[in-house]
Amino acid sequence: MTSSSLQDLWLTYQSTVAFIGLNGLLALSVYTTLSCGQLSLAQAAFMAIGAYVSAILTFHSGAPFAVNLAVATLLPALVSVPLGLPVLRLKGVFLAIATIGFGEVVRIFFVNLDYTNGALGLTAVPQRTSIWMIYAALGTALFVLWRIRGSRAGYALEAIREDEPAARTMGIDAARYKLAMLALGAAFAGLAGALEAHYTYMVSPSTYSFTRVVDMLVYAVVGGTSVFYGPVVGAAFLTALPEVLREISARVGLAPGPLRLFVNGAVLLAVILFLPEGISSLPRRIRDRLRARREAHAA
Amino acid sequence: MIPSVRSLAATAVALLALPTLSSAENVKIGAAFSLTGNAAAYGAQQKAGVQLAIDEINKSGKLKGITLELVLEDDGTSKEQGIAVFQRFINRDKVSAIIGPTLSTTATAADPIAQQSKTPVVPVSNTAPKGITDIGDYVWRVSLTEGQVIPSALKVAQAKIGFKNAAILYGNDDAFTKGGFDVMKSSLEAAGIPIVDIQTFATKDRDFNAQLTALKAKNPDFLMVSALVEQAAAIVTQARQLGWNVPIMGGNGFNSPKLMANAGPAAEGVMVGTAWNKASTDPVNVAFIAAQKARGNDPDQFCAQAYTGVLVIADAIAQAGMKGGRDDIKAGFAKVKDLPTPLGKFSFLPSRDGSHPAAVQIVKNGKFEILQ
Repeated sequence: MTSSSLQDLWLTYQSTVAFIGLNGLLALSVYTTLSCGQLSLAQAAFMAIGAYVSAILTFHSGAPFAVNLAVATLLPALVSVPLGLPVLRLKGVFLAIATIGFGEVVRIFFVNLDYTNGALGLTAVPQRTSIWMIYAALGTALFVLWRIRGSRAGYALEAIREDEPAARTMGIDAARYKLAMLALGAAFAGLAGALEAHYTYMVSPSTYSFTRVVDMLVYAVVGGTSVFYGPVVGAAFLTALPEVLREISARVGLAPGPLRLFVNGAVLLAVILFLPEGISSLPRRIRDRLRARREAHAA
Repeated sequence: MIPSVRSLAATAVALLALPTLSSAENVKIGAAFSLTGNAAAYGAQQKAGVQLAIDEINKSGKLKGITLELVLEDDGTSKEQGIAVFQRFINRDKVSAIIGPTLSTTATAADPIAQQSKTPVVPVSNTAPKGITDIGDYVWRVSLTEGQVIPSALKVAQAKIGFKNAAILYGNDDAFTKGGFDVMKSSLEAAGIPIVDIQTFATKDRDFNAQLTALKAKNPDFLMVSALVEQAAAIVTQARQLGWNVPIMGGNGFNSPKLMANAGPAAEGVMVGTAWNKASTDPVNVAFIAAQKARGNDPDQFCAQAYTGVLVIADAIAQAGMKGGRDDIKAGFAKVKDLPTPLGKFSFLPSRDGSHPAAVQIVKNGKFEILQ
């Protein structure tokens, strides 16, 4: 392969690579709250706050992009605290419903905000995001989650996830940990929102609807939530799949259309059926299978 | 029939030209349409439109020695996939020009990529007044904006009905319906027609009785509605159920046979501005409809616009002296003037927006007819 065709290949798939990173970051933001047993569906709202704030700063201030990103990361985390204080008293499906409500309120706020053109949103946002920034953000998020795991906080989170009353009797301040994880997840989502806005040239309220959170949740579930990098694996798989299928159908000469969507769904279903703990559990399952076979031979 | 000397000569020339055809230039045209997802109904019509146009142009030999090659891809009605398809067209397929994508929101995210790599884009269904051709000088729009269709539709309707005031009902949480509303409001104001009331709804609403009752109480002579087709049918039906027989004009969202299918007799008399006069007896239009029907497709506005998109690119190649490079086509667009298309005589405005006559349709006996 010549260097120019390699370069073409990179140019062709650079957006897929970028979206794998962005969706990975979003999947981690859902995972962060899931890691202490909380199902928060407000991530799209935090993402919207990050996206709008950074775009407004880009348009109306000369601040460097790094400052924009910092604000877009911190503001959603700050907003999540007053939201989390009352809402995190709820559990399970009630928490999910309350956070969906918050998500809708934020979306409708932006729909009615004339300053950002309402439903039309902001267009012609300058492209400031480079792919290395996306991966630096993703790497940082993974590093933070990796450091938490195995630390005192990590064990506390696991205890809360498994049995919250028991964890509280052990003297773990469950409310504080849950709030901290909600804020961390909000920060990841806000950063992803800002990076996406400056990659796709636009911010519009319809991008941050409920279906977007469902996407993030599906990334996390398909990738597996038992390990911290599982959601990133899921996001990479689900983001790349449509483009891989596009390439395959182009090579075999299939006309583009609903068939690709169908295969996409079938692959997803197969993963859920045969790998209920997510794609990231695949190496472990293979190892277990091999060990079982060895033991059978030995016996 | 005795073959004339001229036709014999033409055949001879064609035969002589045949060997050179094998070394002929292939010009690739990328078409990114929503073949799946929310906008799939539009994408299917657009696909039929471009395929017919490419086949006809290649068969006619109008572009001496140049064969147009269509590369069709599905944007999945998503921003993410729209961007991926554009990058694929530009870097992998090396297309000379791109038609699409179907929705304006996808276009705002994908067109800047084409602009950056200096690849001409021809939007054939993006009607958002702002933010499309503003992306850059490689974007040449064929579809009329709401800002072009609604004012002229309003003029025709007023000449017909002679209303003194009007009210507006619109969906305020959708980019498309909000954009339509902005144009309705400004065109009513420009025409000096007082707006007695404005009511809003959300995309997911199904019950419009509250808004309709409030509007009815103000007793306007004319109601303009900016809604997607799913809500359009419900709004029209519920207004008539309230016993309110005000003349209704819809935005581009009403521009679908689904309106009559869902609203039934309630849709009778509803007016909608259109970029394509289906009833036009212009020979280009008649031939276009016949060719589509021969392929088993009942064409709509989106089909006619996509077909025109290819004609415009082909004409730009011809105007550039039969050259199919990206910059040749871009330079050729500026010279496209009064091109005969199913939409009428087509030219570009200095803003790189398309210019051709618009029309008003009215529902009669469950079908769109042109209001003269």
